[in-house]
Amino acid sequence: MKITETIFQDGTHKWVAIVRDPDKPNFLIDTNEYLVTHGGQGMLLDPGGAEIFPAVFSALSSEFDPSALAAVFASHQDPDICSSLALWLEFNPKMRCYVSWLWNSFIPHFGGTAETFISIPDEGMDINLAGLTLRTVPAHYLHSSGNFNLYDKVAKILFSGDVGAALLPAEQNGLFVEDFDKHIRHAEGFHRRWMGSNEAKRRWCERVSQLEIDMLCPQHGAIYRGADVQRFISWFDDLQVGIVKA
Amino acid sequence: MTMNAVATTTRKVPRAGVDLLRIVRINEEIKRVVSVSFKINIMALNAIFLAKRAGTAALGFGVLSNELRVFSQDLRNCMESLTDLIHGCVGEVSIVLQDIRFTRLLGEAAQLAPKSAAPAVLAQREAENDMHANKLATLRNQLKRALEDAFQIVELGGVLAKSAKIEAAYGQSFAAPLAQVSGEFDGIVEEIRSSLESLRRSAFFTGH
Repeated sequence: MKITETIFQDGTHKWVAIVRDPDKPNFLIDTNEYLVTHGGQGMLLDPGGAEIFPAVFSALSSEFDPSALAAVFASHQDPDICSSLALWLEFNPKMRCYVSWLWNSFIPHFGGTAETFISIPDEGMDINLAGLTLRTVPAHYLHSSGNFNLYDKVAKILFSGDVGAALLPAEQNGLFVEDFDKHIRHAEGFHRRWMGSNEAKRRWCERVSQLEIDMLCPQHGAIYRGADVQRFISWFDDLQVGIVKA
Repeated sequence: MTMNAVATTTRKVPRAGVDLLRIVRINEEIKRVVSVSFKINIMALNAIFLAKRAGTAALGFGVLSNELRVFSQDLRNCMESLTDLIHGCVGEVSIVLQDIRFTRLLGEAAQLAPKSAAPAVLAQREAENDMHANKLATLRNQLKRALEDAFQIVELGGVLAKSAKIEAAYGQSFAAPLAQVSGEFDGIVEEIRSSLESLRRSAFFTGH
C-alpha cells in the first residue's frame, strides 16, 4: 500500500501526497498522486494507472471518502496518469475529469462518458474546488503536446506533472529533495529525452518564475521545496532538451 | 462474499480469453461458408443457361438450378445473421474481459481498505458482471439456434443437389455436362455441411 503525507494544511484546505508503494511490481513506473481537499470536496491530481489503483485507493481512503471526489485533474493523456479513471468513476459516476482539449476524445478510451470531461483550453483556466481557485498552467510539449500543471496560489504549490520528474534508485525514496545536486542527476536523462521543445521549456520557465512557489510537486520522484524550486527552474532553463542519440 | 467474487472472477479469466479465440475461429468458418455459397450462386446461374440450351429435356434441371440460387441467397442471409450474433458475442466477451480486470483491481482495493466503499462497489460490479455473463449466454444460445437454422437450409440444398443429379440423367445429349454441374453442386453443399458440422462441434457451444 502507498503512504500518504500531508504536505500542506490550513483548515479544510489540504494537499496530501500519495507516494512510494513498496509492493509495486518493478515493471511499473513509480508515480506520485496528490489529493487536494477544500470545504469537504476533493480533487485527485494524476490519479495513476489502473494497475496501481488498489494501492492509491486504499491510501486515499485512509484520508478521504473516495465517493466525495468531485474531480480528477489529468496533466496529460498517458496511461500512468489516468488509465484508472473508470475505476474511480465506479465510486462517483458524477466525478469530472479536467484535461487538455487535445485529449478529451482520447482519454474516454480509459472510461467515462461525454459528461465526465471538462476541456481545458490551451491558455489554461481556473478550477473551483468548493471556493478554492486552482489555476491550470500551460506546460505544452513538456512532455505531452497538450499538457498542464496545476497551481494553488493559497498553498503556493505547483503540481508540475512530468516536469521535475526523476527516476530515483530504490534506496533514494525520500519524499523531498534533500541534496539537489545528487537528486538532479536522476532527472537529467528524463528531461533531455522526454521533453520535446527548448522553446516550450523556455516559456514554461518564464511563466512559473512569476509564480510564488513553496513546493514544486512532480508526478515521479521527489518534491522540490524552498530554494530548490528556483534552483530547479534555473537548471531546467539551462538544459538542452529534445535530444536523442540515434 | 467479496473474496468469493474475486475468486470466481479469477476463474473466469481463461474461459473468457479462450471464448474470444473460439469466436474468432467461428467467424473465419462463417466467412468460408459465405464465400462458398456465393460460388453456388454463380454456378446456379451457369446451370440455368445450360438448361435453357438443353431445352425441354432439362426443364426440371432448370427449375432446380433456380432453387439452388434461392438456396445460396438464403444461406448467405442466414450467415449474415450468424455474423451479427458473432459480433455481439465479441462485444460481450470484451466487456466480460474488462469486467474481470476491474473486479480484480476492485477486489485488491477492498482487501487493502475493507472499511471503505470498495466492498460495496465490488459487490455491485459483480452483479453487473453476472448480467454481462447472462447476456453472453443468451447470445451463445441464439447463435446455436441460428446455426441449426443454417443446417436446415443446407439439408434442403442437399436434397436440391441430389434431385439435380437425377434430373441430369434425363438431359439426353446434355446429360454429361448437366451431370458434371449437379455433381459440383453436391460437392459444394457437402463442403458447407462439413463446415457447419465443425461449427456445431465448437467448444464455444459444447463448453469443452
